[in-house]
Amino acid sequence: MARSATSDRLLADLGATFRPQRQWVEGRGIWLIVGHFLSGVGAGTWLFSLWLGYRPGLGLALAAVALSGLAHLAFLGRGARFWKMYRARTSWIARGFVGMTLFLPGAALYVLRPGGALGGLGLALATAGAVVLIVYKGNVYAASKGVPFWNSPVLPILYATYAIRGGLALLLVALPLGGRGLDAHGVGFLELWVAVSAAVMLGFYLGVMRSTNLAAQRSVAELVRGRAAPAFYLGTVGVGLVVPILVGAAGFAGPLSQVVLAAVGATSLAGDFFAKYAIAKAGVYIPLMPAGRGPAAPAA
Amino acid sequence: MRYGMAIDLKRCIGCYGCQLSCKAEHGTPPGVFFARVVKREFGTFPNTQLVYLPTLCFHCTNAPCVDVCPTGASHYREGGVVDITKDDCVGCRACMQACPYGARYFNETQTGYFPGQGLTPYEQKKYAAQNVGIVLKCNFCIDRVQAGLEPACVANCAARARTFGDLDDPHSEVSQLVRLRGGEQLQPELGTRPNVYYLPPA
Amino acid sequence: MTTDQWIASTCGLCYGTCSIRAHVVDDVLVKIEGNPESAIGRGRLCGKGVAGIMTLYDPNRVNVPLRRTNPVKGKGVDPGWREISWDEALDEVTARLTKVHDDDPRKLFIQRTTTNTAIRAPMMMFAAAFGTPNSWAAGGGLHCGNGAHLIGGLYHASWSLVPDFKHCRLAIYFGASKGHGAGHVSCTNMQDAADARARGMRLVVVDPMANFASAKANEWVPIRPGTDAALALAMVDVILNDLGVWDAEYLAQKTNAPYLIGPDGCYVRDAETGKPLVWDAARGHAVRYDTPDGAALALEGAYDVAGVRARPAFVLLREHVRQFSPEWAERISTVPAATIRRLAREFATEAMVGSTIVLDGKRLPYRPVAAIYFRGSQGHKNSVYNCFAIELLNQVVGAADVVGGALGFNPVCYGHPETGKPWYEPKSGPDGLMITGTWVAPHLPYPISDPKHPSTMSLGGLFPLGMFGPTMASSDQEELWTKFGLPYRPEVMLNYGANSLLSVGNSDTVAETLARIPFIVSFDITLTEFSEFADLVLPDASYLEALDSRPNVPFIFNHPAGLGAWSWPVRQPVVPPAGQRRSAAEVLIALVDRLGIREEFNAVANTHLKLDGPHRLEFGTPYRHEEICDRELKSHFGAERGLAWFKEHGVISWPKRVEEVYWRAFLDVRVPVYWEFLIGLNRKAKPIANAAGLDWDDAWYDPLPRWMPCPSHEVQDGAFDLWGFYYRDTLHTNSFTNENPWLDEASRLDPFSYTIALNAATGRRKGLRDGQPVTLESPHGRRVRGRVHLTETVHPECVGIGGCAGHWAKTLPIARGKGVMFNDLLEVDWAHGSPVNLNLDTCVKLRIAP
Ligand code: SF4
Ligand code: SF4
Ligand code: SF4
Repeated sequence: MARSATSDRLLADLGATFRPQRQWVEGRGIWLIVGHFLSGVGAGTWLFSLWLGYRPGLGLALAAVALSGLAHLAFLGRGARFWKMYRARTSWIARGFVGMTLFLPGAALYVLRPGGALGGLGLALATAGAVVLIVYKGNVYAASKGVPFWNSPVLPILYATYAIRGGLALLLVALPLGGRGLDAHGVGFLELWVAVSAAVMLGFYLGVMRSTNLAAQRSVAELVRGRAAPAFYLGTVGVGLVVPILVGAAGFAGPLSQVVLAAVGATSLAGDFFAKYAIAKAGVYIPLMPAGRGPAAPAA
Repeated sequence: MRYGMAIDLKRCIGCYGCQLSCKAEHGTPPGVFFARVVKREFGTFPNTQLVYLPTLCFHCTNAPCVDVCPTGASHYREGGVVDITKDDCVGCRACMQACPYGARYFNETQTGYFPGQGLTPYEQKKYAAQNVGIVLKCNFCIDRVQAGLEPACVANCAARARTFGDLDDPHSEVSQLVRLRGGEQLQPELGTRPNVYYLPPA
Repeated sequence: MTTDQWIASTCGLCYGTCSIRAHVVDDVLVKIEGNPESAIGRGRLCGKGVAGIMTLYDPNRVNVPLRRTNPVKGKGVDPGWREISWDEALDEVTARLTKVHDDDPRKLFIQRTTTNTAIRAPMMMFAAAFGTPNSWAAGGGLHCGNGAHLIGGLYHASWSLVPDFKHCRLAIYFGASKGHGAGHVSCTNMQDAADARARGMRLVVVDPMANFASAKANEWVPIRPGTDAALALAMVDVILNDLGVWDAEYLAQKTNAPYLIGPDGCYVRDAETGKPLVWDAARGHAVRYDTPDGAALALEGAYDVAGVRARPAFVLLREHVRQFSPEWAERISTVPAATIRRLAREFATEAMVGSTIVLDGKRLPYRPVAAIYFRGSQGHKNSVYNCFAIELLNQVVGAADVVGGALGFNPVCYGHPETGKPWYEPKSGPDGLMITGTWVAPHLPYPISDPKHPSTMSLGGLFPLGMFGPTMASSDQEELWTKFGLPYRPEVMLNYGANSLLSVGNSDTVAETLARIPFIVSFDITLTEFSEFADLVLPDASYLEALDSRPNVPFIFNHPAGLGAWSWPVRQPVVPPAGQRRSAAEVLIALVDRLGIREEFNAVANTHLKLDGPHRLEFGTPYRHEEICDRELKSHFGAERGLAWFKEHGVISWPKRVEEVYWRAFLDVRVPVYWEFLIGLNRKAKPIANAAGLDWDDAWYDPLPRWMPCPSHEVQDGAFDLWGFYYRDTLHTNSFTNENPWLDEASRLDPFSYTIALNAATGRRKGLRDGQPVTLESPHGRRVRGRVHLTETVHPECVGIGGCAGHWAKTLPIARGKGVMFNDLLEVDWAHGSPVNLNLDTCVKLRIAP
């Protein structure tokens, strides 16, 4: 049967009281989630590698952020115009782009030529860029006034937390690749600590959202029992929080092998990805309603 | 000069004339509606109310869509009209997420209304390759307005539910309607300061 | 070089025929707007009108004549189309038609759509010239026209009515959407109704569903389908018997209320002239109704006249409605008795009986109330009594075609100031009752012709109140034709644009009737479900590629009512017909010559088009469609205003006069509040029916209305607990516009357009979720599928379905599989038709199939 030009789903979405957000998660939108995930992880890895003096991590960070840039290009409707995204006065996306523009050449410089003035400049640029990359993406969501679930100051903190944890997690994964001079267990405990704080942040965020407006409540419902629920329970909560926390806690009882720690890192990474995925997926727009009238049925 | 519109929910009969004349005027692709009619139901039988809510871009004075645009493609132009410079849009869709009023549409591909059957002569004339991969929205029919015409949705509304004009001029019809009929903005608490007002249905 | 032009023409996506301007750039149509120079639409269009571009450019349109190769006809069976030339096609049509013409012209069955009305005049003229009485508007006639238009004609000399939007203060709509949706004069009415709403006119809408008019009403009165007469009669009872309100002057002067009725129910007549008598209270004796200065005609009392005890018809009416108490009506209609009393009181009070107003220096009656009926009250077996009962509300308070009241669409026209044309006004007919000044169909509402043994497919002769009959496509047509000894059977069908598979009733029944017709020729712009039964499809020019000199004529059909302007627009091609498409009107005229019926056709055209003086057609001369159009325009507007003038200007307009709009006060005609003629009609029709072995129920022929149950009200099986009905969607005209992808898209966005609207509480009780697919089943086992939309806007006993969708033809890729084909639930047979006007019942008892 011939499909009509407009997909039925798009029209159903437009007709729904709570129109689901799909642009930033479905179709090519998944590349944006990938991009956000990689840039956060990359920036986090950069900072931790610097802190721990773990040079291979710097290379990894650079690779992650570079891949993030490619993912962003794959997402954009008109990727070839990416260089126009410099209007950073009010736009967090532009700020993120600036962050990436600082980070990529800076990091490349520092990784290739660590010493000297040039290296120092690279280090400064890359580190500044990394900080921007950690901060910006939550703010991109938070600036979305059309999606009340995102439009909250808690989200940038949550996403920054995730980025930091992602950095640690990537290091854990990378350790078996031959990380001398790094205390895997130290990193593991740090990772545990950040995982717990991410869980706390997430709980806090959802709690706030549950008591905000109907659209945000609807998003929470989408997360806990709707469209985003599988990704949320399995990915964000199960793989992303419960597993790392349990395994990390087991670490108190005795030493964990590097492989187990790597696995913790991998699950944390997956959790980081799914947190972004599920939160994006649960987004719904403010319903178009006559002034002073709320939607009749808030529940999912 | 601040262009604005008053939409009279008492006059609107939900005929979709605005949605479709807008489509014809701009040649918007499938799934893209600069003007749209939303039907909302309230109450319980038999005290039921079906409200027809015609919408469009509200050309907010404080437009979040402009703020989030990373390239400046979304911008304010004369008369406070919020428009998109097509050649500058990267298709990041941040504006879609920022708009609290569902006024923006991402146009993914160049498809016509008869899938698999090519573009009609009308579509060949109206569709532009430059519209692909970017976000599209209502521009208050600025070309028509500058030519001394009303926006297409206003000119065609059989119930005369839509009134367009200068909100800065207290004597304009639109200003008077907003004042006398108690025009309301949607979600004023968001601070977007829309220039489209709704006159109450009852 | 680019060309850029605006061409004035006329929309053809519904019979509303609003005036348009088409923007054509480099020979491509890029925009359709309303033409502000015309009163018809006043420059504003509905969604369909502006979406016409997509109908014009539909790649699925037929571009060449097609001949069937597969002899097997059936639903979903591929006809195996073969492209042929126009010559080949017309040769075949000519051969078939010649044979029929020589044999018995009545074997030609003509069918047309109500969507594009351009073909009405050419088809009617062709049918008359050919000599066939067997012609109908498929579906449209059965569903919407028979009752409402009949009553509109009898009382307002017009096809339809609206409240006087400029002056009315309280309008009660009974299943009508005038001014809030699709239909006659839709776009102008939308403007006028919105103005009335802003002005503060109170609108009460009686309807099982709260969309369109009811959504904009001050009060929605949910009602069980098909029970409008019960409600209206109870209101009349309250007004006449409890409140004692009526407009004595109006009733005495403008109706047959004072006519004396004898014990046999018939008029007491003057022995000499046979004219009905009235009681002149001043003179103290009976006089003929038309006695000059008969000032004090009695509406009450009882008198001995001509040896019998006689009473004015009005007394009988008052007594008759006593049996219809609000409590009785509540049981039938579900409208609470208290609401009925209140509405009656509001109507009677707001009517301000006795008040006058001065307009244009003339003192006129002012009755700012109107009771309006259309598709909802009319779409039933009992449509005549439904509409009659509702109309009585207007009549008893004298709110008919006076300032503020119920206005017919333009029953009077005194013509353009320079030519005095077109000119028509109602006149007094037999027994002083009104004959319309002009009419849409050849069959006038009054005088009622004598019933005779039917000789047409519709059995119309026996049912002079009906315009169309279900036997054109009923399951028992053969049986009924046999009963009445119809001496022929349809042999060739000429179809214009109608998709009767979808528009009449259940498609299986219609398919059977079509499959029996040996040869079917169809003018179409796309192949439809109907084409599966056609032998030859002729590619028609769409409304944007065709010429028509009378797109909005007659004015009583579809021209804005009330004060304002007259407009006579033209339709002209805005782009030339693509491919080998040809306008059907031109093809018909070509056939006229091929068939050798030119003299007959030209004679019919002279009368039908009112061609005048030098513009009359000479019998022997062949004329092209264009020439005939030119002559028609010149006949009305002078030699200098022919087709060329109209092509350039698009429309001619002139102001309306108070005497035209509020004509009732100026013309001496009466309308019947007591249908004495039904007694005579019954007396003559019954023996003919009985002789043919047809059951006959006298109750349908009472001179005063009562509530008669629809077949749906008589279903005993409690499992069928829902009433199904369909309503007209603003987005669509019949099944035709479903293929327009812009409209289709809007429909898919709309919560109601393609869904089955079910009361939310009822749905929850049945365990249904919003959007869930369900199957609806009728007591006859007919089934349709669709998605439910749970809503508070429907009566708890009802499901409402939008329009006439549910296409299955592969040739309609946009329309296919969308919406619900409500009509598939309808029986088309004698039992579901009205034994008085043949109207088909369009409500049905349903259940959600397990
Ligand atoms: S055209 Fe006017 S009446 Fe129709 S839906 Fe739009 S605003 Fe409402
Ligand atoms: S309505 Fe939306 S798109 Fe229009 S100006 Fe406001 S925020 Fe921007
Ligand atoms: S109401 Fe009918 S005639 Fe008028 S624009 Fe709409 S479809 Fe065309």
